[in-house]
Formats: sequence, structure tokens, C-alpha cells
Amino acid sequence: MSRDALLARIRAASPGAATVGGLPSARDARPAPPELPALPAPQAFDDPVGLFIDRARDLGAGVERVASVQEAAEWTAAWVRRRGLRRVAVWETPDLAPVLDGLRAEGIDILGPGSPVETLAQADAGVTGAEWGIAETATLALASGRPQPRLVSLLPPVHLAILRADRIVADLHAFFVRCGALPSSLTLITGPSRSADIGSVLVLGAHGPTEVLILLIGR
Amino acid sequence: MSAAPGHAHPRIDMIGNTERALQDRALQDALGRALPVFRDLRIAVAAEVPDWEVLCDTAARIKDHVLAHLDTYLIELEAQLAALGGAVHWASDAADARRIITDLARVRGVRRVVKSKSMTTEEIHLNPALEAAGITVVETDLGEFVVQLAGDAPSHIIAPIIHKSAATVADLFAQKLGVPHYERPEDLARVARQTLRAQFLAADMGITGVNFAVAETGTLVVVENEGNARLTMTRPRIHVAVMGIEKVVPRLADLGVFLRLLARSATGQRASVYASLVTGPRRTGETDGPEEMHLVILDNGRTRVLADPELREVLRCIRCGACLNVCPVFERVGGHAYESEYSGPIGAVITPALRGLEHAGELPFASTLCGACLEVCPVKIDLPRMLLELRGRAVRAGLTGRMDRLFAQAWTFVMGSPGRLRLLGGLGRLLQRPFVRRGKIDRLPYPFNGWTAHRTAPPLAAAPFRTWWKSRRSASPQGVPRERETR
Repeated sequence: MSRDALLARIRAASPGAATVGGLPSARDARPAPPELPALPAPQAFDDPVGLFIDRARDLGAGVERVASVQEAAEWTAAWVRRRGLRRVAVWETPDLAPVLDGLRAEGIDILGPGSPVETLAQADAGVTGAEWGIAETATLALASGRPQPRLVSLLPPVHLAILRADRIVADLHAFFVRCGALPSSLTLITGPSRSADIGSVLVLGAHGPTEVLILLIGR
Repeated sequence: MSAAPGHAHPRIDMIGNTERALQDRALQDALGRALPVFRDLRIAVAAEVPDWEVLCDTAARIKDHVLAHLDTYLIELEAQLAALGGAVHWASDAADARRIITDLARVRGVRRVVKSKSMTTEEIHLNPALEAAGITVVETDLGEFVVQLAGDAPSHIIAPIIHKSAATVADLFAQKLGVPHYERPEDLARVARQTLRAQFLAADMGITGVNFAVAETGTLVVVENEGNARLTMTRPRIHVAVMGIEKVVPRLADLGVFLRLLARSATGQRASVYASLVTGPRRTGETDGPEEMHLVILDNGRTRVLADPELREVLRCIRCGACLNVCPVFERVGGHAYESEYSGPIGAVITPALRGLEHAGELPFASTLCGACLEVCPVKIDLPRMLLELRGRAVRAGLTGRMDRLFAQAWTFVMGSPGRLRLLGGLGRLLQRPFVRRGKIDRLPYPFNGWTAHRTAPPLAAAPFRTWWKSRRSASPQGVPRERETR
């Protein structure tokens, strides 16, 4: 069936269709279809950052706090050393430049945008920057882009997301008011990948990272 | 209603399936363990949202608005997606959708397809069609992967192998994948992850469903916990998404309402682990994401439901599965009994609505009408009302058994006058005597034996209610209102 025939079928079936074939129809006499309702106002939390942290930990995500980007770079380098990570996939956004410099100084393998996917799949960790945080659910919002490959937050077993505390909004309603033009892919991430399919037992790291670490910059 | 065009369905044997399910100990155990957990989690996270009912109401009104202007929003979605470099395909039925997707794959030389869990692609029986065209199809959701390996069918909208134990999965993996007999779910998940990683890297096409499609931006939203849908939409060079016509929402911000409701209702999570909002294919300079994006918009009986004022409301459904988890019938019989990818209370309405009542006439009767499904529905679909409506239609269409009709007629006749009811009561008290054992009736002769096959009936009381009422009234004249004799 063609597009137009299917659309005509939909139009004929719709309760709100005022005209059929360009002519006023008997349906005009029916009550008007419901208007689009107003959306709920964002919630007002006393301490959105505190809520974000609590709920992230509920999900099994780690949260660390630092005061500045410089401290974030130091923390990340120390973390890589402590964990013995040898190969790290990264985003190359300007915000993350100090962090990447710190990692390069560690002398480990850095996989930037354009790295072959097979190598990316062998990375020990992926380092990204979340654009926004959502307090109600401890959700990270990650945009795709030229320096921000989608697979960095997905293929490696550990995902380190760096987020500025002042980018934490209350809930999804607040988020969609602020999020602006959409990238080709906007991913909302809430905790580590999981599944309870087998035997109704919760397993972390089904297809994505087993571990999610959030590095919060600022108070 | 007429049969769904283009696809012949056998008649669903709900009663026979129920008999078999009730004998299945493993199924009873699995459902009895899993469903209460879902229910408790849902209650806890729904209670956290201060205006839960308002949120549900808003969601229902957005959906009703969309259904009233469906053509407008679908055209807007198509235009937005086209502007981004995506392609939209319109499928009137399952055969149409299968042909569109198979052709897309064939023309592009696709050899391997990875899929993430999608009820809509189950509905159109896509996998056999692709396989017949010589294309390898791999289900990548952990549960669906098991279903595919076992040659089984999913039994729950969001927990496809809720009917299987970990031990069954261990046997299956040992047999089909040649791995040791792992018992722990985390080991089994790791085996599946490793097996499927290779499939993701090799696939040319990824097929997903769609939870929501945003008209104003052309954004497709896919919600999941595992990450397999993200891989499916990111790694292969072609992404094909399949959605029913009812999945469109007008505004990006509407997602705030639906995403807050969906995960809480489905699995009792505050949010699903991943909500992917994809807006067109990969853009210039990007190093991953699909080069091509196709959206297949499917009718397959939905316009028939849309045109039906009594049933239209089911098109609000966001496929959360909350109604399955609270349904006393689903908890006993499981999803397979409904012989449809949509089971439980929503399935008992949506399957007859989509396929035609003549194929699924028994389904609307598979409910106690307790109302639990309506209570938990995040878009307030009045399933009990529609179950009753469909029962009425089944009776009027002569789809119920001769004996059922006879009983209903006799019951109507008896209840039509107090005298007749009194007479039947007296007769019943007399005739029941040989069947009462230890204060219960546990076996009745034909044609009443169906009633006692799985339960015992209490015997009729020694004295009727009217006698008891009269004696009570004379005992305490102030205690009860005076009875008005009407004849």
C-alpha cells in the first residue's frame, strides 16, 4: 500500500479528522479532540547535587568529587595508575583537554575518535564528558559529535564520565527545557548496563560497561 | 471485525493453553518468584513521584491528542526525518513490512542483521522472512538471544524468558554454544556478551523497535537496560527502526512525561539504564553511528482499532508490561498461553483488536475483571471496560460456546423474577445433596463439571438469604431498614 493510501486510512479512522478528502465531514459535529496538555513544571529539590550523588550510588555507580578541571585531570591520571589501565578510549572535546594531557603523560594507549572499533572493544576504560546530569534519576546526558564517538561510553568495561556539578538539573522536565539543539545521538545513561533476564537475577554489565564512575567537578 | 489483512492467524486456544500452563510446575515457580518483585519495585518508585496520577493523566491526554491528529504528526515526523537524511517507509500490514525490510537488506547486500528486542518485529514475524532471504539474524537482548537459541517465543513484554530458570539456560548454552555448564546468571550473561560482541562487529544492519518518535524533531527513542539496542543502532552501517503508527509524540519535552512513567511502570527502575534519542543518521565528521537510517511505520490492524471508539484507547499503550505483572490470570498461565507477543490484560484486548475477534475470542474471558490492570496503567487504559466490551461482541457474534449461551439465557430467565429465583434455590438445595462432601461440592456431573474441574464450590446455604433477612429484621426492628414489599 502506498504512503498516501495509508495516510488516508489513518485520516479516515482518526476521531479528530475534521475533513475527509478536503470536504467538511459529519465528524465536525463531534466534540473537539483533546488539546495538548501543558507539561509538568520541573520539581524543586533542596539539594539536587546531593540527590544525584545518592541515587547514582543506589544504582551502583561510583561518584567522586573534585574542585576544578585541573584536579579532575590529576584525579584521572592517579586513577588510571592505581587501576593499572593500559588502554583508554577518550572523547576529545576542548573541556576534557587537561584530562587528556594528564593521561598522555601517563604513557598509556589513548584511543581517540576514529580508532578502529576492534581496538576500541579492547580498551580498559572509556572517558567521556556528560553535558548534563539529571538529579531525580542520577542520569547522565551524553551528546554524540565529531570528537565524541558513541561507542566510548559503551564498549569498554568501565565508563568514566566527567560532569560539572552546575550542569545538574532537577528532572527530565527541566532537562528538555534546557537541552537545546539535538545531536545525532543523545544518550541518557542511568547506572551500569544491566539485565535480570536470566533466572530473574540482576547482572551488571550485560552489553555495556559493568562499572560507571562519575567525576563531579565543582560543588 | 474482519481478519487482519495479509496474515492468517490460527484460532487461539486459551482454555487448552491454560490447562497445560497450570500443570507446569517450573512455570508456576518462575512466575510466582518474579512477578511479586516487579510489583513491589513499581509501587516503591511510583510512590516517590508526588504527582504520579497527574503524570499518568497528562500522558493519557497527550496520547489521545496524538490519536486524534495522527496523520498530521506522522507527516511531520516523516518530514523531519527526511530533512535529516533518514528515510520513511509505510507498511499497511505485516507482509508489507517484511517485504520492505527484506528488500532494504537485499538491495544493500546485507548478510548479517543484529536485532534488539522489539515487540513490533515479533508481531510482523520478521526473522523467518529475513532468514528465508538468506540473511543471518541474531537477537541480541539477553532474553531474546536465549529465546532464539531455544527456538522458543518470548513470554513477557519486558522479561522474555521469565518462564525459564537459570538452569535451563545453562543447559541450552552448554548444548548450543559448547561452553561449560555454568550455573551462575553472571557467567551465563558473560558468555552471551562475548558471543554477541562478535555478532555486533560483523553485522551490516541493525534492527530495533521504537519506544517513542518525536514529530517536531524527527527523533527516535529506544529504551533499554543492557546496551544491546545502543550497539544495534550504532555499529552496523544501516539502522532500520520499526514502529506502530501510534508511537509518535508531538514534542521533545513530552518525553519527560513518558520516560518518567515507563521505567517505573515496567521494571520498577527510576529510569532505564539507556534511553537513546537518535536524530537522523551519522553526521559529517562523526566516526560512528549508522550511515543510513530507515523508519518503517506500521499499521497492521491499528487503523481498525483507531476507528473503533470503544477500543481506541488501547493505542495509548507504551508497552511497559505493568498490567501483566499484576494480573492474577497472567501470574497463573504465563505469556505463552495468549499465543501472541502481547500477553496479559493488554494482550487480551490488543490481540483480538488487531487480529480480529474470530481469531482470539477466548482471550477477553481470561480475566477476573479485578481491575488491577487499570490501577497500574501509566496511561490509564480502561482494560476491564474493554474486556467486557469484547466479551459482549464475542457473544453477539456467536463466538462463545452453545453451553455458555444456554447458561446465560437460563440465568437471565431465572434472575428475571424473585419467584423463579426462589424456586431454583429450593430445587438446588434439594439436588445438591448427593454432591456435598465435607461441606464442599468438589465434583458435579456434566454439563456442570467444568465448574468443579479446578475448584470446589460452597454448597447452597440451608436457608436462603431472604429467610435469614426476615428473621434478622424481626429480631431487631431498629437495626435494619424496613423491607419494601414490591409485590
